[in-house]
Amino acid sequence: MRVFLYGFCLGICLVGEWSWSVDFEKEIKPFLEAKCLGCHNPNIKKGDLSFSSRTEVLESGHGLVTPGDAGASDLWLAATPDEPGGQPSMPKDGEPLTDSEAALLEKWIDEGAQWPEGLVLREASKTDKSWWAYRKLTPAKFDSVDRYIDEKLEEAGLERNPEANRRDLIRRATYDLTGLPPSPEEVDAFVASKDPDAYPKLIDRLLASPRYGERWGRHWLDVIRYGESNGFERNFIINELWPFRDYVIRSINQDKPFDQLIREHIAGDVFAKGDPEVAIGSAFLVAGPYDDVGNQDPNAKAQIRANTLDEIVNATGEAFLGMTLGCARCHDHKFDPILQKDYYQMSATFAGVRHGRTTLATPEERRLRDEKLKPLQVRVASLTSERSKLRRVIARRIEEKLPEYEKEWTRPKVDRTGTEEKFDPVDARFVRLICDANDARPEGKNFRLDEVEIYSAGDNPQNVALASAGGKAVGDARKIEDFPGAYGAHLVIDGKTGERFISTSNQITIELGQPTRIDRIVFSSAKGERISQHSKFSFLADYRIEVSLDDEKWVEVANGADRQPVNKAHRDHRLMLVETTAEERKENALLTAEINRLNSEMKKIPELPVVWMGTRNAGDAKGPFHLFIGGSPQRKGESVVPASLSTLSEVTPGYRLPEDSSEAERRLRLAEWITHPGNPLAARVLANRLWHYHFGTGIVDTPNDFGYMGGRPSHPELLDFLAHELKRNGWQLKAMHRLIMLSSTYRQSSGYREAAAQKDGDSRLLWRFPPRRLSAEEIRDTILAISGKLDEKMGGPGFRLYHYMSDNVSTYEPLDEHGPETYRRAVYHQNARSSVVDLMTEFDQPDCALSTPRRARTTTPLQALTMLNHDFTLDMAEALADRVGAGLPSEQASRLFRYAYVREPDEVEQKQVAEAIETTGLRSVCRAILNSNELIYLD
Amino acid sequence: MSGYSAEHLSRSGRHLLDRRNFLSSSATALSSIALAKMLQTDQLLAGNASPVIDPAQPYAPRGTHHEPKAKNVIVIFCAGAVSQLETWDYKPELIRQDGKPLKGGPAVTFQGPAGNLARPQYAFRQRGNTGKWVSDMIPHLAELTDDIAFVQSLTSETNTHGPAENFLSTGFVQDGFPSMGSWLSYALGSENQDLPAFVSILDPRGVPQASVNNWGSAFLPAEFQGTPFSASRPIRNLNSPGNISGNQDAAARSFLQRMNARHLEKNPGDGKLAARIASYELAARMQLSVPEIGDLSTEPEHILKLYGADSDVNPTKTAYAKNCILARRLVEKGVRFVQLFNGAYASGGRLNWDGHRELKKQYDVHAEILDQPTAALIKDLKQRGLLEDTLVVFCTEFGRMPMFQKGAQGRDHNPDGFTCWLTGAGVKPGVTHGKTDELGRKAVEDIHPLYDFNATILHLLGIDHERLTYFHNGIERRLTNVEGHVIRQVLT
Repeated sequence: MRVFLYGFCLGICLVGEWSWSVDFEKEIKPFLEAKCLGCHNPNIKKGDLSFSSRTEVLESGHGLVTPGDAGASDLWLAATPDEPGGQPSMPKDGEPLTDSEAALLEKWIDEGAQWPEGLVLREASKTDKSWWAYRKLTPAKFDSVDRYIDEKLEEAGLERNPEANRRDLIRRATYDLTGLPPSPEEVDAFVASKDPDAYPKLIDRLLASPRYGERWGRHWLDVIRYGESNGFERNFIINELWPFRDYVIRSINQDKPFDQLIREHIAGDVFAKGDPEVAIGSAFLVAGPYDDVGNQDPNAKAQIRANTLDEIVNATGEAFLGMTLGCARCHDHKFDPILQKDYYQMSATFAGVRHGRTTLATPEERRLRDEKLKPLQVRVASLTSERSKLRRVIARRIEEKLPEYEKEWTRPKVDRTGTEEKFDPVDARFVRLICDANDARPEGKNFRLDEVEIYSAGDNPQNVALASAGGKAVGDARKIEDFPGAYGAHLVIDGKTGERFISTSNQITIELGQPTRIDRIVFSSAKGERISQHSKFSFLADYRIEVSLDDEKWVEVANGADRQPVNKAHRDHRLMLVETTAEERKENALLTAEINRLNSEMKKIPELPVVWMGTRNAGDAKGPFHLFIGGSPQRKGESVVPASLSTLSEVTPGYRLPEDSSEAERRLRLAEWITHPGNPLAARVLANRLWHYHFGTGIVDTPNDFGYMGGRPSHPELLDFLAHELKRNGWQLKAMHRLIMLSSTYRQSSGYREAAAQKDGDSRLLWRFPPRRLSAEEIRDTILAISGKLDEKMGGPGFRLYHYMSDNVSTYEPLDEHGPETYRRAVYHQNARSSVVDLMTEFDQPDCALSTPRRARTTTPLQALTMLNHDFTLDMAEALADRVGAGLPSEQASRLFRYAYVREPDEVEQKQVAEAIETTGLRSVCRAILNSNELIYLD
Repeated sequence: MSGYSAEHLSRSGRHLLDRRNFLSSSATALSSIALAKMLQTDQLLAGNASPVIDPAQPYAPRGTHHEPKAKNVIVIFCAGAVSQLETWDYKPELIRQDGKPLKGGPAVTFQGPAGNLARPQYAFRQRGNTGKWVSDMIPHLAELTDDIAFVQSLTSETNTHGPAENFLSTGFVQDGFPSMGSWLSYALGSENQDLPAFVSILDPRGVPQASVNNWGSAFLPAEFQGTPFSASRPIRNLNSPGNISGNQDAAARSFLQRMNARHLEKNPGDGKLAARIASYELAARMQLSVPEIGDLSTEPEHILKLYGADSDVNPTKTAYAKNCILARRLVEKGVRFVQLFNGAYASGGRLNWDGHRELKKQYDVHAEILDQPTAALIKDLKQRGLLEDTLVVFCTEFGRMPMFQKGAQGRDHNPDGFTCWLTGAGVKPGVTHGKTDELGRKAVEDIHPLYDFNATILHLLGIDHERLTYFHNGIERRLTNVEGHVIRQVLT
């Protein structure tokens, strides 16, 4: 069957090369690694086979390789075709062995399959450290953006458009830097200006506007997957992360060097301890989703923890390095030179980070607060001790009299699985159960009940409380908004157990279907439960049962005073009530009142700020750390220590820390390594993001991935030029915006030319400025701005366009009406994960579960429905109409166009609009304008 | 149903949107072209290619990788994890070992300490020609076993509801990945241009645990996300505002079209502008067709009765039954992917199948809601011949443990072996594939991670799960990550 291959070998023999013995390392290893190891490695182990070590290949017992006999070796049989010209069964995907590789493999096996001691094979990634993105920056060839662009345009036989008209230019620049439209007055001034520096001055003005930080802060928040709920199972809202959002906006407005910002994101809490404005930067680490379900299964728990660290590793790699580190979690990266070991070194770096809230204050703030608290605390302590003394006196008396009291407690204590009271027959229409002490906390008077049975007197007692018998139950209950009646009083008369009424007052009243003679009541909170002591069954310990015929005059028919107390706390509570003298009671009341007063004084002293920055735990950070085979925490591999990525070892000095290094030091070193001047990647990635946001597409069109799977740079030299400039400008972005926006490339018109479009339809080469649709935030902000409703209040807790409901899990219900408190810029919306928000979601605002390096720009009918019919549009149409005001329709048309499109209508338009105003009214026209293409497309 | 009634649409609005006049009355030729393009069909997907989406025609029907067996899917999604042991996976040994500890079993599971083994809480009996053992909990569904292919050896990656629903719907435990319905809309476009390609019908009791992740598009373009609505809850913002008269609404729209047409003239060469004009026209068509499809008043009495939608005794059951009818009507109109939820979020098992404490009591309630309407849906599809090109999937995020939890009368989460099933187009009827051990603790034979189940669904729709990809943050993403094998044993 192997005629063809034998023939081939014969050929080799004939030319006299038979005497060669095969060099495994040089001749076999390369193709095994390239063609087999992808699936057959210790991590993936397809078919339960790994070819990475001698033991696995030669001693597996699978008959994979029989030294000396290729024909009896599965490896060779699978990798070569059964018949000449046929397809071998392996590899399943990808190129089969070439004829010469097959021949070498056969020869190697036939020669005895020599595998050098200790040699381990690894799958080679598609690229190595010489990949373009990991190389040093190339020196600049030109000194301006335009020359790089023009060079490529010329090669393609294209040329740039002329400069855009001034209205388009100011509209473009204003949106680009602030996310808002220019005012009509700003446009007029700019269009009329004779100043040759009008445009540079415009850019300076925009960069100085606080709106700039809001716009570019939003970009950055996308990149770092900033969201204000934890996602996963519970998706609880997070109300303490907004200080981080404010920090981002503030930093960008201040033009903080971006390498500094990166360092603060990773380790700000380390090097700026005591400076909350900087330390808050490290909330980056915990700004992503995480699973907080509290899984009790230890394996699942370990997996969840590994997933949490994975999230941080990925966010870090994508945001700062344009690297997809997550692909190296289960095996070496298949495309980029990132080892599985690199991944776990990075994961060890973050091992001490946990999600959660933490107090963040300056030493001065802490001192000031302590100063105010101290005297109050001292006073409370002394009053409390006085009160304890008083209570001890009473307690001693109780001890003495206890035997007497005990004699009175003749009946057994209450039973949660069913407590019965019998009494003389009495006519009742209403029965109420009043709680004087509950059995979990005797001072508390609320309780839970699963059933109350009220029996009619006579020979044939019936439970007349049942709803099915006409009973009604009334009592204040705990409420859940999206699950009405979850804990309502009706549960005690439904004839079923298992679901409980949870009272929020001290009583429940049952109204019978009709006045009935009754003589027995049974009530329970844990009927049929095996663990009735569970706290969720908390029950009445002291109680009274009263009946009434008219809901006004009540008669007590039973109480639990003669029952034994449920425990010592309950006993003491009971006795304290009866054994305290009037004088003692008065004194106790005075003391308690004063203590309460002081406590509320203390509550008035503002708390120190609490932020969602996570905690740092030395315990979690303790090694040893291991690589997880196949990504499973249950399969520990080689041990690792916190260290830099090997990927950049040829251009940036690396580091390696001992296993017992402090978690703070690990993050500090990582931060310094990422922003090291020798690291070309961080600067390239950031420069590319700037370009991406200015032109709609990056020089690399995959801003989070500069590896093999990502896009190749359209203008590699320009990218390096920008990276150089970024560094030269001390990583300050404002200088970069000027550099880019003052270029003729940026200033050109977006005019369409068919011939150019034939060659470069997407304008990747930038023969025209690429027009774009506004983002979700820009659309909402624009509508508010032109309607004169935009509230420019910066910072602080965000507003919500959903109604948040939470019990064990969270629900986010989009709002039908958006009140004035929501008229702030969209960047201040409290974006929760897995929630849907009208307008924002439809216009591609990301869910923020993952980093979003570029927004989609989709067009859907649902967008149209929302824009046409949501109350927000209608409210804004009305506001816009008010702003346009009264007057001749033609004048109104003019003003409307100026507000919405910052231009005058032409004659035809003016006529059309005026007509429409006359026939359908101004408000209706405004509604249409808010839906119009011109409003949300930018030239 | 008031949300659906046609009277919310104005007379002139209806006139403007009259389908027969539709294309001719469009204000601009270009938007007509864009619209016409949106409706045109492509051929089979070429070779290895993922679909190429023309932004101007995102919903155009697109080709498949191979000849599909099914055109539409209804996924019945039982939120909260239905116990396999009380339904489809008959374990006589569990009856024998009732009350004994599970040897070598886990001492602690998701919610805490494990108790002893507990017998199935319902009696089982053999059904149909195949003699499949099914419990008395679901008598109506039990009648259908001869048409069903069961996969009884599924596994999940996680034992937590939210992440497990993510895993079932998106192939990933984490948040942030596209749902199966959005993958399919992305791949195949839509057959009906007046309705969304992908509809999620929510349970009357509320949203499932992982909520929008189950129908979100994540990093796929937003146009492919599912549109949630139900028989009792209309599409958000579907209706024109009540305080705007029909005339005004129509006039505003026609004015809008004039403005957009003029803007388009001045900005040639940008297909997105025409696409947005067309999207307003599609929206108008949806305003007509959605109320129509949601109007169940045209359903005859015997059909309402079949589904159990004719009674006021159990309002939840009636509401779910109406959702089942809606599912059928959507498929009839060519909606590609319908997700039909049974059960809401975690609530101590009160609103969904999460029976930790009082499994029998709660399942009595839930089964009453699920059983008759779901069985009726399948019967109705069959009697109308719709089952020939519709695939029906019955799934849940994981199974439950053979033990009760310590001190409780219910079962904890078990991702190691559970049952989902398929019926309809391309499905081999009356087979049971895969096995759990004799106590139903773990899958032991023909073990299939949910990846395989999802790969099989895509396969039936003509899609190769390995070739349907989308590039995001450095990776060509798939519904099945880097896993998945089609379960051929359940295919015709």
